[in-house]
Amino acid sequence: MSIISITTPVSKNSEIENFSKDDEDESMYDDAIDGVLKKPEKKYIGIDNRSIVTPGELITEDATWMRGHGTYYLDEHTYSSVAGMISKVNKLLSVTPFKGRYRPETGDHIVGRVIGISNKRWKVELGAEHAGVLMLGAVNLPGGVLRRKSDNDELQMRAILKEGDLLNCEVQSTFSDGSASLHTRSLKYGKLRNGMFLKVNSSLIVRTKNHMHDLPGGVSIILGVNGYCWIFKTKNNVENKINAATGKAESEMKAASSSKGYSVGMGSLSITRLEEESSWEIYSDKNDIISANIKETISRYRSCLVALSFCEIAIDVKRLVKAYEISLGYGDVNSLVSEDIKKSIGEDLINSEKMRG
Amino acid sequence: MSRFELFSPEGLRVDGRRYNELRAFDCSINTHPHSSDGSAYISQGNTKVLCLIRGPSDTLTTTSGATASSADEPTISVSIIQPPYATTERKSTSRTDRRMAELSIIIKRALQQCIVKKNYSRTLIEVSITILQLDGSLLPACINAATLALIDAGISMYDYISACNVALYDTFPLVDSNSLEENDLSFLTIGIIGNGDKINLLLMEDKVPLDKLQKLIDLGITGCHNIRQLMDNVVREIGIDLLSKKL
Repeated sequence: MSIISITTPVSKNSEIENFSKDDEDESMYDDAIDGVLKKPEKKYIGIDNRSIVTPGELITEDATWMRGHGTYYLDEHTYSSVAGMISKVNKLLSVTPFKGRYRPETGDHIVGRVIGISNKRWKVELGAEHAGVLMLGAVNLPGGVLRRKSDNDELQMRAILKEGDLLNCEVQSTFSDGSASLHTRSLKYGKLRNGMFLKVNSSLIVRTKNHMHDLPGGVSIILGVNGYCWIFKTKNNVENKINAATGKAESEMKAASSSKGYSVGMGSLSITRLEEESSWEIYSDKNDIISANIKETISRYRSCLVALSFCEIAIDVKRLVKAYEISLGYGDVNSLVSEDIKKSIGEDLINSEKMRG
Repeated sequence: MSRFELFSPEGLRVDGRRYNELRAFDCSINTHPHSSDGSAYISQGNTKVLCLIRGPSDTLTTTSGATASSADEPTISVSIIQPPYATTERKSTSRTDRRMAELSIIIKRALQQCIVKKNYSRTLIEVSITILQLDGSLLPACINAATLALIDAGISMYDYISACNVALYDTFPLVDSNSLEENDLSFLTIGIIGNGDKINLLLMEDKVPLDKLQKLIDLGITGCHNIRQLMDNVVREIGIDLLSKKL
């Protein structure tokens, strides 16, 4: 039988003796603690793009840099205030946090949800610090671009967009406190229907030129820059025209005189497509009939997005399509919910990207 | 003084540590990605604390309208929950417990100094802390967890706040005290911003001889620096991992 003996380490003991003798030499036991915990040596962090910094870390002593988001300035030194990556644009130095709430920037294509209506504006929840505002003047009103806004429109705002509606819009401008003003003055923007909502972390969405994509399988997706995604049945052009026509008839009945007199003047043809489609139809609450097949494809894409966000892989449309192809190999949509499969989809995707190089 | 020998002549404490050793420190961030903006779990020995952060969000949209929003700084609300199973004796604490209310005010003040206020005007940052297991050093664990959760939430802050307890046994300061030591000894809590000597928090509810105070503070500062280093390592590791996935 072995005997376990604990001997008192000599060095430690001597330090404690020092201690009890009220030794004023502080550095003695400071060194001792460092020894116990093996403090890693502080490496010099240069100002390379994409190098990692944590809060309070000195980025540069050079005062010529301009300081952007995620940094602060103290005694001519620039420090990081978030954990993230350094990004340099010319002389502008900023730190992009790994995670964090979405910060609106002008021109971002985003998806939001209406949470309130107040004086001539809608409050839109974007997953940012502050709710965005969508002014009544920044939407396409039923009845064409040239229509004047009346008091009646102001009273009828809830008929256009009401609380809980999802919409697809662009950041028109941002305010100093970080809140955003939105607009939907384009045909690609507006109320969302025929689909499914999904929220992922906004830092995972790769900013690209286009955020609305048609995917294989008769499904389209909006990858909002704020991390809100909308997967929906691809709009059929032929159907659209019929819808627009019937919509127009409806709008004429509903929105009465102004639009009617206007369209008579122009004959049966409208000048722009915008005019044709800007009817009450675009603010309808009714979904089209969606086949079971499409519904399944939508939920498969959703599962793929969930898997990508679970594995914290940056999301763009190429990867999504690839993940979709991989997911087909895992069989039924229901099976994609399990954590193991989500993980292995992520791994497969990364492997296939490595193979391609 | 006690049934236990809190500090043996060989220089070992009740749990076998030396005077300057921290307990096993483990932390992870982003533990609750769906229910919060930032989350962290921390365990220092047998003290285990979970911290969730919601926000910064619009003050207008929250239903708890008790706090008036000031114009140019964030409103921070801290709530601490201690379930009945957290301590060795099973007893439930009410939400209006004065001890918890006091702790939450201390944490709130500590965090307020550390967040870059100008970036978060008219916003609300909700910090909710759950004590899963309690074995001394409660306040330090809460502060450390809140720091990590703030970092995870991507909230700008001047530096880490790291905190630790130091107890005094006769003439020996004992860092990172556990509940046995805290029951019998007088101790103080110290919180440090960053890697310097900037004391952000100092709390002492017991009596300590004046000439020993400096020694306690000095050891506390070193303990805080070590904790900061441990937390920083974890944050950095996660950063490197994330970076490898983004192309």
